[in-house]
Amino acid sequence: MNEKKVIFAFKDIHIEVEGKEVVKGVSLEMREGEKHALMGPNGSGKSSLANALAGHPNYTITRGEAFINGKSLLEMDATERARAGLFLAFQYPLAIPGVTVANFLRSALKSKYNGDENILREFRKELNEKFQALDIDKVFATRYLNDGFSGGEKKRIEILQMAMLKPQVCLLDETDSGLDIDALRIVSKGINEFAPKDGAVLLVTHYQRMLNYVKPDKVHVMMAGQIVRSGGPELALQLEEQGYDWIEKEVMKAVEV
Amino acid sequence: MTTQTTILEKVKIGFRPLQPGEPDWIYRIRREAWDRYLEQPLPERVQNIWRYTAPESFLAKNIDALMNLYPVVPDGSNGKPYPVTPEYAAIGYNLDNRMTVTKMTPEISAKGVVFKDIYSALRENEGFAGRFLGKLVGASFGKFEALNLALWNTGFFLYIPDNTVIEKPILMNRHPGGQFTMGRLLVVVGRNSEATIIDDYAGECRLEDPAANSVVEIFVGDSSRVRYVNLQRLSSRCSSYITQRAQVEQNGSLYSIFGAMGSALSKVNAGTILNGKGADSRMYGVLFGDNGQHFDYHTMHHHKASESYSNIDFKVILKDKANSAYTGLIRIEKETANCEAYQENRNLLLNKGTRAESIPELEILADQVRCTHGATMGPIDPEMLFYLESRGVARVEAVKMIVGGFVEPTISQIPSDLQPVLRNLVLDKLGSEL
Ligand SMILES: Nc1ncnc2c1ncn2[C@@H]1O[C@H](COP(=O)(O)OP(=O)(O)OP(=O)(O)O)[C@@H](O)[C@H]1O
Ligand SMILES: [Mg+2]
Repeated sequence: MNEKKVIFAFKDIHIEVEGKEVVKGVSLEMREGEKHALMGPNGSGKSSLANALAGHPNYTITRGEAFINGKSLLEMDATERARAGLFLAFQYPLAIPGVTVANFLRSALKSKYNGDENILREFRKELNEKFQALDIDKVFATRYLNDGFSGGEKKRIEILQMAMLKPQVCLLDETDSGLDIDALRIVSKGINEFAPKDGAVLLVTHYQRMLNYVKPDKVHVMMAGQIVRSGGPELALQLEEQGYDWIEKEVMKAVEV
Repeated sequence: MTTQTTILEKVKIGFRPLQPGEPDWIYRIRREAWDRYLEQPLPERVQNIWRYTAPESFLAKNIDALMNLYPVVPDGSNGKPYPVTPEYAAIGYNLDNRMTVTKMTPEISAKGVVFKDIYSALRENEGFAGRFLGKLVGASFGKFEALNLALWNTGFFLYIPDNTVIEKPILMNRHPGGQFTMGRLLVVVGRNSEATIIDDYAGECRLEDPAANSVVEIFVGDSSRVRYVNLQRLSSRCSSYITQRAQVEQNGSLYSIFGAMGSALSKVNAGTILNGKGADSRMYGVLFGDNGQHFDYHTMHHHKASESYSNIDFKVILKDKANSAYTGLIRIEKETANCEAYQENRNLLLNKGTRAESIPELEILADQVRCTHGATMGPIDPEMLFYLESRGVARVEAVKMIVGGFVEPTISQIPSDLQPVLRNLVLDKLGSEL
């Protein structure tokens, strides 16, 4: 019997971007402490889903509902969603020139907690610890956020932000892509350590390699804007071996029936 | 219209008589400049430099009153409440065309630094100060520059001898007050010396006349390092016209920083002549316009010597219905070798209704040069806003961060003691309601 509290849930979500429906009714429920993996071919709608849930203005949710900790998400703007505990690690993190990583995090924390300076008391110390844990060179604190960072460096900094902002629900969109072998291990360790124990993590990924470190409780497969299959960790292994063809065939068959 | 104004002035207005105490040679320069002012037609609007601003805006409506603006005699008395605060090496005040006060710390006067109101400096030191007056911005420079040379009535003279390092900045407060101010700043720096000059225009003005017509001339000697900061934060009723020229000799360097926040209309023409081998000039601009403000900034880098280096980084932020025109001339003479000249102008348009122009003008006559220029203009990237908001940052804060970030790479290039001043000016201007 699963008695753990539902932390994050969405139901029958439809998403339009540029007048085109790219997500066509997906639902998911995540309970306290759970990690789920979301897989699926390129263009199947994974990032659209993550962005729309985080409140990106270009992705319109035309139908459905979503809840974080029982609170309805869709009436909130992006800032409010983040303050309610949602965090999106971007597939392609953007550069913010002229704003250093340290200043950005300081301002973000202050703003997130509505100007409460107390939140910053241990800021320096905490930042140092997390730089160390994620094996990020200290010079990055004074570099402009993501400006000229390599692909892998950006992904580390996304997880650093997660570690500092302490969200409850983490949507990690292909955080593993662009990481070298050692970085993958370090960042995975960081996710395990810093993702909230009482929260939920949704890992969007194409490969098993990160799932070797960050063990998912459930794996979902998205195709053409729908979740077509859900299973345990073994589903990811099966995809790694066999690709998506077999699922597609089964889905087609089911449709015909 | 153009010729009409000129003829009218010529017929009606003879130059004022010699003023008691005014040296002949100064009077002569004034009269000649006055003739040049009357002769020159208003600038035609065809060249880029006048394409974006009506020259009429800078004509004095009341020439008679101007004629009677005699040079401000320095206050002179000690014990006035204008101390040199610890952050500065010297402070000068121009107040309301009524008085000029200059104060130096004993340390820098002991080094032989001369810092005076310009009238006294010229009167007392024709042989030296007089050699430099009008040499970079003289009567043939342009109509309004001729007007200034004819009728200047206030300003400062600063001389820094050879091998003299002044660590703290020298601050000049310029408050036009109610009247049209014709100011001149003349700076002469010897060899192998170092100084930072803050030229700060602030205050209120009357509606009917332009607030300020200011000319700045800076001479940088061999291997000297000078930083010149021009802050323009006049009230939003003013219009201001500033012409600045500097000449940098061998291995000397000049960093010029322009912070423009004020005036309804602000036209600045700033230029550096790289006159000696290895001369180095950098210009940084942080301009922020709101309401209906109009900025018209022209920069010029004139490479006359080999291995000279110039770099321009101008950032413009506009909101409401503000607009800006930036034109930047780079001229590299034929007989030079290995000059480098860079120019970048970025414009951030915070809302529709703002307008920016950016025009590079390259006159590159030499063969061996490195030269790049670039301009961008556009609104805040909505993806950037989303990125910050997705971290829990409120919209207003996110805009502040992005605007702050936009100017930060420029601000971080200027002397560190001045950085907070410019940062705060930008944030103040941004305000709380967006
Ligand atoms: N901003 C946008 N404008 C236009 N089309 C978009 C936009 N964002 C996504 N799409 C389209 O929506 C569909 C889903 O894209 P999405 O990025 O969500 O896929 P994905 O599953 O994340 O793919 P990948 O694995 O390659 O990252 C694609 O057809 C894509 O072209
Ligand atoms: Mg994607």
